[in-house]
Amino acid sequence: MFPGASTAREDADYAIVGAPLDVSTTFQPGARFGPDRIRRFAETFDDYDRRTDRHFSDLSVHDHGDVRAWTDAAEYVEHLSGVVRDVVWDDAVPLLLGGEHTVSAAGVDATDPDLFVCLDAHLDLREEYDGDEWSHACVTRRALETAEEAIVVGARTGSEEEWDRAAAEDVTVVPPEEVGAWLRAVKEGERDPFAGRDVYLSVDVDGADPAFAPGTGTMEPFGLTPREMRGVVRAAAPHCVGFDVVEVNDRDDGQAAALGGKLLREFVATHAHGTDGTV
Amino acid sequence: MVTQQKQVRDLQEGGYVMMDGAACKITHYSTAKPGKHGSAKARVEGKGVFDGKKRSFSQPVDAKIRVPIIERKQGQVINVESDTVAQVMDLDTYETITISTPSDADLSSEDSIEFLEMEGQRKIV
Repeated sequence: MFPGASTAREDADYAIVGAPLDVSTTFQPGARFGPDRIRRFAETFDDYDRRTDRHFSDLSVHDHGDVRAWTDAAEYVEHLSGVVRDVVWDDAVPLLLGGEHTVSAAGVDATDPDLFVCLDAHLDLREEYDGDEWSHACVTRRALETAEEAIVVGARTGSEEEWDRAAAEDVTVVPPEEVGAWLRAVKEGERDPFAGRDVYLSVDVDGADPAFAPGTGTMEPFGLTPREMRGVVRAAAPHCVGFDVVEVNDRDDGQAAALGGKLLREFVATHAHGTDGTV
Repeated sequence: MVTQQKQVRDLQEGGYVMMDGAACKITHYSTAKPGKHGSAKARVEGKGVFDGKKRSFSQPVDAKIRVPIIERKQGQVINVESDTVAQVMDLDTYETITISTPSDADLSSEDSIEFLEMEGQRKIV
C-alpha cells in the first residue's frame, strides 16, 4: 500500500491503481517493478505537507493495488481502462502507477479529458513503433485519439516524423529550457492552457534529467529538474481528472521512484487544496 | 424475479445480466488473464435496462451469476398522453398499459412499437 493511502474505497476521493505493464520497453526493462518501487520509496516521506497544512493520510486516498499485467498490451489497456473507469464512476480521481507509459492510454480512455499534459523526454507521437501501435513510444498519439490537444513538457527528442506531427495545432511542445518561462507565464496569467478544461496529467519520469532519475527505461540527457516538474504538477493539478507516474524501474538506488512518489503526493495535496497552493 | 443462472464467461456485450438487483444490458466485457496462481477474472460493465444507471462488477470467469429473462413484445400506441407517457396495447394479451416514452421518440396513435417487459417494468426500444 502507498503510505497514507488507507481510506476505504467507497470513501475515497483518490484511488491509486498499480499498472505494472512492461512489454514494449525498448532499452532497460524493469517498469513492472515501478508501482511497488514507488510505494516503497514513499515510506520515508512525512505525512504532513507544510505548504497546504494538510496530512496526506487525511486526503482520502485509497490504494487499489496492482492490476496484474500480461503480454497483450492492447487487451491489458482495455481491461485497465475499465478498472480506472470504476474509480471515475465512484467519483474519485484515479492515480495510476506504471508500468510503461502505454498504461496512460487506459487512464485517458477512462477519464475522457480535453487536454493531455505530459512530462516526458520523448514526444511519443509515433503512429507505431516496430509495428506496435501500443508501444510506449506511441502513447501521446494514442491519447490524442481521445483528448483534443496535448502539451508535452520537457520533450527533447523524437523522430523526424514525430516532430512533423508535433508541429500540428493540437500539439504544444515545451522544451526543457523554456519550462521555467512557460511556468512563470502560466502563474502570472499571461497564458492559461488549463482553465476550463478537463486535464489528464501524465508524469513520465524520464522527463527528468537522468542525473535525477536514472531508474527509467530510456534515459535522455538535458532534462528537467525535479523542481520544474513539481511546478508543472502544481500548475495543472487543480484542473485534473486523472494523473499517473510511469516508466519508473528498479535500475537505480530509488531516485526515480522517490521523485515519482513525491510528485504523486504533490499532485494530491494540490488537487485537494483546489489551487496551486502557493503560499 | 425470472432469472437463469450462467457463468460469467458466458456473458457477452449486448446481452443482459443482473447487477445490484437490477437488470442491466452489458456494454463492455473484458477479461484479465490469470496469473500463475490465480484464475482469470472478467470485468463487466452494464447499464440498467429500466433505470439507465451504469454499473460494473469483476468476478472470476467461472463464477455463477443471474441473467434476467426479459420479454421483447409488440405493442400498438392507443393514445399519446404527453411527451413522456403513452397508452399502449400489448398485442399478445390485448391489455392496455401505460408506459414511459423515450425523450427522442416521436409517437402517434396507431404506431407499432416494441417494448421490453420484466416483472411489470417496461421500456420502449
